[in-house]
Order: sequence, then structure tokens, then C-alpha cells
Amino acid sequence: MPAEVSPRKPANIVYALDEAPPLLVTAGNAVQHVALISINFVYPLLIFRLADVPVSGVASLLAVGLMVLGAGTFLQAVKRGPVGSGFLCPATFTAAYLSPSLLAVKAGGLPLLFGMTLFAGTLEVLFSRLLNRVRPYFPTEISGLVILMIGISAGMAGLRLMFGSSAEPVTSAEWTVAGVTLASMVAFNIWGRGLVRMLCALEGLVAGYVAAWFAGLLGGAQFDILARVDWIALPSLQHVSWSFDLALVAPFVIACLAVAMKAVGTITVCQRMVDADWVRPNMVSATRGVLADGITTMLAGIAGAVGTNTSTPSVGLASATGVASRYVAYAIGALFIVLGLTPKLTTLLAVMPRAVMVAALLFTICFIVINGLQIIGSRLLDARRTLVIGAAIIAGIAVEAFPTMTTGAPPSLLPMIGSSFVFSTLIALALNLLFRLGVKKTATMKVETTNIESKRIEQFMETQGAQWGARRDIIDRASFNLTQSIETIVEGCEPQGGLEITASFDEFNLDLRVAYLGPPLELPEKRPTNREIMESEEGQRKLAGFMLRRQADRVAAVHKGGRSTIIFHFDH
Amino acid sequence: MDLREEKIGEVSVVGVTGRIDSSTAPALEKRLTENLGAAQVRVVLDLSRLEYISSAGFRILLLAAKRADETGSRLVLCGVGGKVRQLFDLGGFLDLFTIVGAREDGIAAAQ
Repeated sequence: MPAEVSPRKPANIVYALDEAPPLLVTAGNAVQHVALISINFVYPLLIFRLADVPVSGVASLLAVGLMVLGAGTFLQAVKRGPVGSGFLCPATFTAAYLSPSLLAVKAGGLPLLFGMTLFAGTLEVLFSRLLNRVRPYFPTEISGLVILMIGISAGMAGLRLMFGSSAEPVTSAEWTVAGVTLASMVAFNIWGRGLVRMLCALEGLVAGYVAAWFAGLLGGAQFDILARVDWIALPSLQHVSWSFDLALVAPFVIACLAVAMKAVGTITVCQRMVDADWVRPNMVSATRGVLADGITTMLAGIAGAVGTNTSTPSVGLASATGVASRYVAYAIGALFIVLGLTPKLTTLLAVMPRAVMVAALLFTICFIVINGLQIIGSRLLDARRTLVIGAAIIAGIAVEAFPTMTTGAPPSLLPMIGSSFVFSTLIALALNLLFRLGVKKTATMKVETTNIESKRIEQFMETQGAQWGARRDIIDRASFNLTQSIETIVEGCEPQGGLEITASFDEFNLDLRVAYLGPPLELPEKRPTNREIMESEEGQRKLAGFMLRRQADRVAAVHKGGRSTIIFHFDH
Repeated sequence: MDLREEKIGEVSVVGVTGRIDSSTAPALEKRLTENLGAAQVRVVLDLSRLEYISSAGFRILLLAAKRADETGSRLVLCGVGGKVRQLFDLGGFLDLFTIVGAREDGIAAAQ
């Protein structure tokens, strides 16, 4: 078997995947990544807090979680058998599992949480084998909706901890501490530079703890607990048991699909980051990455932690520092495990005042919500898709705004209709399936050689793209190929009669065919020289053919019985 | 395609709106030939409102740049962004012309 070729290193990357940075650089970067991820510790904290787990139990569970993150980061970086993308793509706790986990804790306590997390991990492992088949039913705009609703539902869960009907009234001290925490995070993020900006969430947490200490929210009781725990100890696994509830399958399936899709996205960013010649996503490493992600969540379920996912901000950090070496991933994994063996640290996190926790949660959620909206906006949306997304958002917000709406529903349905995140996703999936009916996957148009209306040709692609929910960038590329090829064929190939255009689409492919009576269009692999382009129209046509070939992912020119068909294929 | 020209000091700024393809390229060619007809002239081509450019348009730009070289003139392109920039990249033209950001930068570069 030929050795795997390392991708060409982009100019901004200092240490590529296989390059080992000096020890100090490796250690420094590992600390930065863990600090960046630390904001996501609020998800398990919130879940365990709502499950009424005592502080010592929360610290122990958090320690287990940190060790799982360490194992997950290793698994993602190594490439063993079918597992691991091979990238520096650390594991983190995720907001995606927050809503389903809260449902599980409410319905059956920690055993149900761990059992369903194990189920979700197993499912993600299976999904990793079926990614391409699942994608058409989970188009990009629905992935965006899911991310948006993850943000909204997590934000609401956090706010309920402060303002819910069963929550203790918020004191003025808590308002102050929450304000200081949120304001610090925002200030460091907006006005900070370099490392200060990158670690804004951690700095805000520190500011929140200090404010809580001054305000009396952290005091003798918490410090007594801290004083009693060891500096180094193995976490206890006594609390771990598992149960399963069929009624919770839907929420965990949706969360699992969401994290699998997000893992694909994060690994694609990794691919682009380390390869100067990157053209399109490589589903092989994405599949390996999703498998590693699923195994990590399985480990979380087995050991007693909450669901995990790949950390997108960490990939951003690697890109910003130029250190993309997988040796840093090994160091991050080791650091997570060391932190998991440090009860003083996990206990310090476990006593986090709710004001600090909720402020931190709201800060992270701003980014999740906007990310979801941006993903929705990246697709062309026609009336059908607008209705799918619009109705689903309204349904989700209605669940949050009118919790009594589900009163009287059968208990087995509550996990599906009582959660904004789950309900809105189910509405979107159902409407998406319904609205697929009647959408033609192939469209044709005729163009007269005597009257080329470029605007009409572009409009054709725009309309079809919106109906199919195609990516905007792909439709732009296809639109150029259509107008440029028609212009060149009419000018240079003297077609008899008109041209017939056929566009066909599925979730993975967009194919354009331009058929006409006449000689085939030349599609050279080599760019004509500037002199050739300037000296003759033949050179100009060669330039057109070269650009058409480069713009598409695959091209072909078929000539049979005097009739030519030019085929442009775009991966979607 | 719509062409709008204004004179700023010694610099002629030609703004292009719409599409440059085989049907509109001759009009652009005529305008650029007129502008670059004399020796040592300064021309800025503002493409910030350009929506589309085909191989026919690139040919005209190459010819104009050649003419500018021959007559000791200066041709500067500005406002090349978004989809149009991608097309410049696709055809390997980004390094062949003097391309700057805003119109003011173009005027400064041409002087």
C-alpha cells in the first residue's frame, strides 16, 4: 500500500499535523485549548445541579467527564483502524445533549442520563457508517435550525435555573455577580486582543468567581468542602448505573444526528486548515472522526458523564496560532486526564454559583444561536423551505413560551412535544419530508441561439437552487458554467437549432447538461497563454473551456451522431 | 452593461455596472481603446458594480493592459470583489493586473 502523502502546508500554519513542536509550545498550546474548552464545563454542571447531585458527587462526575474528554481527544487524533480523523480536534461537552439530558435526569435520574448517553454514542457510531444516506433527510438548513434551537433551549434551561417557577428568588448579589461575569466575558471578547480575547470565557469565569466571593455567594461552606478534598485522587465510579426509556429515544436521536453533522463540519474545517490545496470535504476522515466522536460519547455513558462532541472553537484556535500538530492533541488529552485526577479543581467547578453558571451559559449561547442562523442562511430558501424553517422555529418557541401547551398529552409523548429543541426539529423533519413531494429533481430549459438571455439562464439556476435547497456557492458556480458555456458554444460551435439545458440534483450532486447539434466544446486542462487569448477568439474560447473545467468538479464532452452534450458535475 | 466615466485630475475613472460578456465586451473595448489611445494616460476601471465577467471580458482587459504597457499608460482595476474576484482567480488573472481595493486607492495607484 502506498504511504499516505501529507497535505501541502498552508502559509499560516507553523506546525503541521505530523510536525512535533518544541515541548514548551506543545504544553502552552495544550493549556490554551483546555482553557478555551473549559466554558463548556457548564453543561454537565447545569445537568448535575438540576439532578440535585451533591457537590462531592458533581466533582466526581466532572472528573470522570474530563477523563472521557482526554480519551476522546486522543481517539480523534490517532488513526487506528477505522477510528480517528487524525486531526487536532479536541473533544468537549456539548449543548446539543443538554436538553435531552435534562429530560432524562427529570424522568429517571442519573441512571437514565448515562443509559441514554450510551445509547446516543452507540447510535452515532452506527451513523458514522451511514452518514451519506442520512444527509438527504437532514439537509443543511435543518442542521442550522437544530443548532439554533439547541442554543435557544439551552439558554432557556439556564434561565429557568434562575427564574423558573421552582427556582429560589434571585438576590441582588446574584444579579451583580451575573452582570460582572457576563460583562467581563463580553468585554474581553470585544475589546481584548490575541490570547486575552481567545480566553475571554475563562477570564470571565475567574472574574465571576472573584465577584461571587466578594458578594458572599462563595464562602465558608464552599471553602470547607474544597479544603476537605485531596489534590490528587481517582474519581469514584460508585454512582454509575444505567437505565433506558423508549420515550427518550427521539430527543437523543436528534441530538446524536446534530453532533454527528457538527463533527463532519468541524473535521472539514480541520481538513481546510492543514491543506493548502484543499478543494472539497473528504468524507473518509470525516467518517473516521464521527466514529471517534461516537465512541467518546459511548465512553461518557459507560463511565458516567454527559454527551460529547468535537470542539469547533479549538480548531479556530489552532488556525489562529498556526499550531495544528497532533502532538498538541496528545498533550491536551493528557492534560484533561491530569485535571480529572485533581479533585480540588473539579470541586472548585462544582461549587460554581448559579449566577456565574447562567451568565457563562448565556455568553456561549449567543455564538451557538448566530452559528445556527448563519447555517440556515447559507442555503437558498424557497417558499417550501422557508415554511419548514419558519414553522419549526415558531413551534419550538411556542413550547418555551407556553409550557402548559402540552398539558394533557400522553406522558410517553412529553419528551418529544415538551422540549422546544426536539419538537421544532421533528416539525422541520416532518415538513421537509412532506414538502419533498412534488419537487422535481430534474429541470430543463431551452435557449435559442438567436436570443441568449443571460439573466433568464441565471434565474433558472436560482429558482431551481432554491427549490432544491442547494448551497448558494454551488449554484453560483453552476450558474457561471451555464452562462459561459452557452455563450462560448453559440460563438464558436455554430449550433444548429437551440440548446437544451438539463439540471438535475440530489443532496450530493448537481449535474448540468448542455446539449446541441454541433461540434463539442473544447475544455482544455491547460490555460492558454495570454498571447493566445489576445490574438484570437480561438484563444478566448480555450480560456472559457479552461475556466469551465476548473469551476466544475468534473466535466465531460460527448459527441454522438452530430449532437454534443457538455456535462458539468458539482459535488454538493 | 452600463459604463460611466468621470475625470478626477489626470485620471479617467470608468465605472462598469452589470455584465461583461460577448455581447457587451465590444462596448467596453471601444471605451478602453479611446481612453488608452494617447500615451501616458491614467485609467482606473471600477468593477465594484460588476456582476459577471466572461472570457470575452477578460480578453478585453488583457488587450487593454497590453495597450497601456505599450503606450506607457497606467491601467488600474479596483472594486474586484465577491463572485467577480473568484472569476479572476479562476482564470488566473489576479496577478496579471494592478488590482487595488477601493476607487480612491485606484486613483492614488494610477497617479
